[in-house]
Amino acid sequence: MHWLSKKRYKIGLTIPTILVYSVYIILPILIAVRYSFSKYSGLGKPKFVGWKNYIRLFHDPLFWSSFKNTMIMFILAFALLMVLAFLVALLLNQRLVGVDFCKALIYSPAIIAPIIVGIIWVYILDPNIGFLNGLLDRIGLSALKQKWIGGNTLTPYSIAVIYFWQQLGYLVTIFIAGLKMIPGEILEAADIDGARPAQKVMYVVIPMMKTTISNVAVLIITGVFKIFEIVLQTTGGGPNHVSDSLVTYSYSMTFSSSDYGYGMSLATITFIVSLLITGIYMAIFRDKEKKE
Amino acid sequence: MNKKRKVFSYILMILITFLCVFPFLWMLMLSFKSNADIVASPLSLPKGLDFSNYKNALRTLNFPRMYGNTILVCVISILIELTITFLSSFVISRMEFRSQKLRSLIYGYLILGLSISPFILLFPVYRINVFFDLRGKWGLVMPYVASSISFNTLLLTGYLKALPDEIDEAAVMDGASIWDLIVKVTLPMAKSVVATIVIFNVLYIWNEFPYASVMLRDASDYTLSMGASFFKGTYTVDYGGIIAMSVLIIIPELIFYGLFQKNIVEGMTAGAVKG
Repeated sequence: MHWLSKKRYKIGLTIPTILVYSVYIILPILIAVRYSFSKYSGLGKPKFVGWKNYIRLFHDPLFWSSFKNTMIMFILAFALLMVLAFLVALLLNQRLVGVDFCKALIYSPAIIAPIIVGIIWVYILDPNIGFLNGLLDRIGLSALKQKWIGGNTLTPYSIAVIYFWQQLGYLVTIFIAGLKMIPGEILEAADIDGARPAQKVMYVVIPMMKTTISNVAVLIITGVFKIFEIVLQTTGGGPNHVSDSLVTYSYSMTFSSSDYGYGMSLATITFIVSLLITGIYMAIFRDKEKKE
Repeated sequence: MNKKRKVFSYILMILITFLCVFPFLWMLMLSFKSNADIVASPLSLPKGLDFSNYKNALRTLNFPRMYGNTILVCVISILIELTITFLSSFVISRMEFRSQKLRSLIYGYLILGLSISPFILLFPVYRINVFFDLRGKWGLVMPYVASSISFNTLLLTGYLKALPDEIDEAAVMDGASIWDLIVKVTLPMAKSVVATIVIFNVLYIWNEFPYASVMLRDASDYTLSMGASFFKGTYTVDYGGIIAMSVLIIIPELIFYGLFQKNIVEGMTAGAVKG
């Protein structure tokens, strides 16, 4: 091997990857940040405007409402997925007939195009033609009918539920992989000590799954900041941007309003917020681990 | 007591599975209802096996073209990304470095992409494509190749690192050149991880929408997900047609999933469990 580890081989074989990656992943971030300090409508040259876009953003009620929507989506999806994916993983980690088949079915929403996920759920949540309101009508609970999507308040909650459906099987699989890594002797020891199932989960399983839980948390955080097609298909951010998330608002400012500079400042802030939440989570988690 | 718990587990498992599958069943059912029935009585069952929604969908969208575009972009992107990331991962994981720092620096740099959201990249990538005069569906290839680099590097280096060194040494003793070593010795041993990467990236490109929505202007360039998003762009919403179209797009995906379930799940969880 030593003979073949020549410098020119090493450079020649890595350069294509590094080049493509630098031009299409790293450079665009720098370009985005640069545009975020300029005004540009697609014609002529971008004009440097300093912090103006960021000042505008902090005074833009639509930015704050899309920020709020994103946080609602994040908190609800995080709570639902963390708790329920873990419980479903405990359930499906048992030896049951047909469990692999059920796992495969629960997983399937994660592999279909997100754009189709959005379409499917329109037919369930739409206030007029959707299954849910139809069902409420049928069972005499018309009073509970809501504008699940497209109204003024509920859309981000509904998006979180759709996202939950899409991600459940995926995260269950990751949790099961974590459960399988717990040595059997430890669980047996807990049984011998007379631990009840709930105690076993609380004091043995969860502490031993820290890494998996942390991985899942990071996946949910980064995942929520990639929700795009679902919002686009269900409401398109409407009416009047009230259901926009940070991602869809920055997308529509950039590509529908052709306000590229402002759009890029929104994209930059969105990116920073998602990194911050991941960072804060990691900091808290790492801290805890050290103390124990 | 134990038996009670088992019965309870079965009931719960079936209930949860049904709830997860229900939206699929619902869309399949709706696809056989007329547009008027979908609007007027959402809960009613279809009157029979009426395929007119499918006919409408096939008439409105140019499915052969959309499938053709998607497959073309898929094949070209994956050929490029596999070639370049296999070579670079070979260097990172198998070759000698005098400075281990340099090795981990290159690795770390290439892995960074896993935490970068595509949405900050869309407009700049569009500009870069315009600069290189890459338009329409050809503008999708480089972004897709680039998006795969972090994931491929993670999987390939992890796998190649675990192969024993003696194999390389024996090959070199026999007078193998660097190309012989990579193509004839290492690549055949990495078949399974390459399969996972290909399948995972087919799925990614098949489903990808944000880049497609930015790069594709001409309907003749539309990929599947892009075509899907445009169906409702008429005056009256053709609910029946939209749902039939969705079924037509999902079915090949579900078949693909059925065939390669192991690789797909492996690919999707690999990044999560290791990273």
